Amino acid sequence: MILEDIMKKEKIILAFFFIPFFLFSSNLKYLRIQKDKKPNPYFLLQQIKPLNKAELSRPKSKIIIQDQVQSNLKPSPPKHYKGEKHGAVLSRKPGKKPLVSSEPFRVDRRGKRPPYRLYERIKQISRVRSFRSRGSRYAPDQVLVKFKSTLSEQKREAIFAAYQTKKLKRIPGLDIYKLQIPEGTSVEEMLYLFNQNPDMEYASPNYYRYHTITPNDTLFNEQYALYNSGQVVGPPGSPQGKNRADIKATAGWEETKGEKTVIIAVIDTGIDLEHPDLINKISPNGWDFVDGDSVPEYIYWWGTHVAGIAGAETNNGEGIAGVAWNCKIMPLKVFWIDPVDGQPTTDDSLIIEAIKYAADNGADVINMSFGDPADNPALEAALKYAYERDVVCVAAAGNDGEAVLFPAAYDDYCLAVAATNSNDERVTFLNSSDDPLGPWESNFGPEVDVAAPGLYIWSCDLVSEDPDFPYRLASGTSMAAPHVAGLAALIKSIKPHLTAAEIMSVIRYSADDINSSRYPGKDDYVGYGRLNMEKALAPIMLSSSKKQ
Amino acid sequence: MKKINIFLILLILVLPCFSLAQEEKEALIQSKSIKLGIGLEYLSRTIRWGDDNNNSRFNSLFFMLNTQFEVKEGLYASASFGYSFSNYEGLQFKKELPFSLELGDRSIEGYLLGLEIKKSIVYREELEIDVLGQFFCYLGSSETWRIPADYLNVAGTAQGSPSWTRISIGPVFTYKGFESLTPYLYLSFNKLWGTFTMDETIQELEGHEELKIYGKSLFSTSLGGIYKITEVISIKTEATFMPYRGGVDLGLSVKALFSF
Repeated sequence: MILEDIMKKEKIILAFFFIPFFLFSSNLKYLRIQKDKKPNPYFLLQQIKPLNKAELSRPKSKIIIQDQVQSNLKPSPPKHYKGEKHGAVLSRKPGKKPLVSSEPFRVDRRGKRPPYRLYERIKQISRVRSFRSRGSRYAPDQVLVKFKSTLSEQKREAIFAAYQTKKLKRIPGLDIYKLQIPEGTSVEEMLYLFNQNPDMEYASPNYYRYHTITPNDTLFNEQYALYNSGQVVGPPGSPQGKNRADIKATAGWEETKGEKTVIIAVIDTGIDLEHPDLINKISPNGWDFVDGDSVPEYIYWWGTHVAGIAGAETNNGEGIAGVAWNCKIMPLKVFWIDPVDGQPTTDDSLIIEAIKYAADNGADVINMSFGDPADNPALEAALKYAYERDVVCVAAAGNDGEAVLFPAAYDDYCLAVAATNSNDERVTFLNSSDDPLGPWESNFGPEVDVAAPGLYIWSCDLVSEDPDFPYRLASGTSMAAPHVAGLAALIKSIKPHLTAAEIMSVIRYSADDINSSRYPGKDDYVGYGRLNMEKALAPIMLSSSKKQ
Repeated sequence: MKKINIFLILLILVLPCFSLAQEEKEALIQSKSIKLGIGLEYLSRTIRWGDDNNNSRFNSLFFMLNTQFEVKEGLYASASFGYSFSNYEGLQFKKELPFSLELGDRSIEGYLLGLEIKKSIVYREELEIDVLGQFFCYLGSSETWRIPADYLNVAGTAQGSPSWTRISIGPVFTYKGFESLTPYLYLSFNKLWGTFTMDETIQELEGHEELKIYGKSLFSTSLGGIYKITEVISIKTEATFMPYRGGVDLGLSVKALFSF
């Protein structure tokens, strides 16, 4: 009896199987079925310009010339400041000249463009947009738009209909609409079309936001080099930094915080072996080449500061964050205090010994925050020795505003690092004029590979100087170099098979060309640009394809 | 991998012809029924990949041409050839390439080859129980992505090539009591595995990475029905549910069958 009933309803059963299928298939992106709709008169009135590749990746916006002068504000210095450098800044960032498509749209006999051409344009847009950075994730079927306030409600509704979008929400007060885009089109395509519309104030993706990795170290908010929120950096009178003029450390840490097996050798003045941010990070293979023992205890604060930038213990609730959270530091002490002038001094023989020792004892990266104009083939040979054993050598370019010092100038085997400030500018005599120790300038020359923040950098100080707060500010390319060393260690951590040459190239190619408006491409001042940990570590998203 | 897959398919297609007894060969020639089919299938599965057991979605849509022979009473063989779009959004190449890459939402075209064998083991007036084995192999075309110099400081390319294989085997319970609708239930062991190779060239940097991918679910339940429109034409639809720990994957298919 029941079966007979079912037999009578077999068509309903059949529909049960068909309906889900068509519901799903209609959602597939590759089924770009063109809907047979009548041309919308409002849409035909839109001024559609030829395809502009440059506009695809950015919304329609005004070109901003940013002139930032020294602030008159006099913020109070961070507690326990012992800083050395100040800065005043001037930056200009004109927009890029847009590219113009060589394939303009066809126009019908009446001079109007038929609406079905919309899909041709969308296809064309899809082809030229070949990727997006991983950082830009957004709802795949939604956009946010804001109309010019003078536009009437009827016209807004007409625009929604013309673009075949569905109004999901209107945020009152801000007059922003959340729209669902038509099936078969992408967010990028719709943004392009919306931003062509003269009635539109802006259109943007509905970006997803995530919790970023923010370490709980108390000084992290002062470390503009790692995350620049536009905070005031430096002593009283210092200007605010530029928002996100940093090395994108938090995004990089989402990929890796480093491996304990990766070791950064710091050839310097020794380190404070009892420092709370370093005590758990020290490799047992450290060596004192001055005294010839295995206790590379500091003779000056410099090496402690440098080691902290590269690899201070991070997320431990105190002090600073290091670039390479989990990597180890191999302190190699080569400096002594010159009895005549009281300055830390070293010589090439100790440096050469230390480089060879590092290469032979498991170091993956060597940081050298020192330099001199004198060229020495023996020093170059030592660097070559390390390079051939896939040890990445990083050195400071120098702070004299002159030619790059050695060992940084050994271009084949060493990354030469220039210094930038919190506004993403190379440090010059002009913008470091407030430095308590006098203005300085990052050295320049063809050997410069990349730049990293080097003005007013917080890092570790000697505990004996202030047991309650063993941290200090310091400036120089010596402070820029360990940022690069830290990144090299992170790359080595997730891609241990890469050679030194490959890691050096990854660091170069992933840098942000911060002075591209004046010196596009690699230049003598910041090399390939300011370090970008996100680009070096995070996957590049391949979103659309282009056959070759 | 691709060559091996092609070889396997050809072997599976050809071998039964040699192994059949003479009378079976004659039976094949004078088979009781030959069906031609044209179909569409959508598959959405969760895949795991890499050493860290990362998960992402795998979506595939394929159009298939299909022939089915009744080799002898109760034994059916079927071969399929199709064109497919497969999408591996979220798949990441992070170990071997100088710059890590992540696949976006674009689908990669490719060819699909398939083989099915069905054998009736129980036949009652209204109930039939068969054993069905399916083998599908997807060979994706090589796809090139451009990495422009305005993201990195230099331009580069990435070239990817996917392939996957799916096997399923299990009993089919078919109810034949209705006049024009034949519903069935297919319970199967259903395994999907494959590889995705990616080559990256950015200036002097070169890298090659091969990711092994595996479908998370291993068993599936399919509910389907064959609706007989005329003596010659029937429509077959099927919905497949593939549970795994933490979720259920889905497959849908529709096929038009022409009997001769």
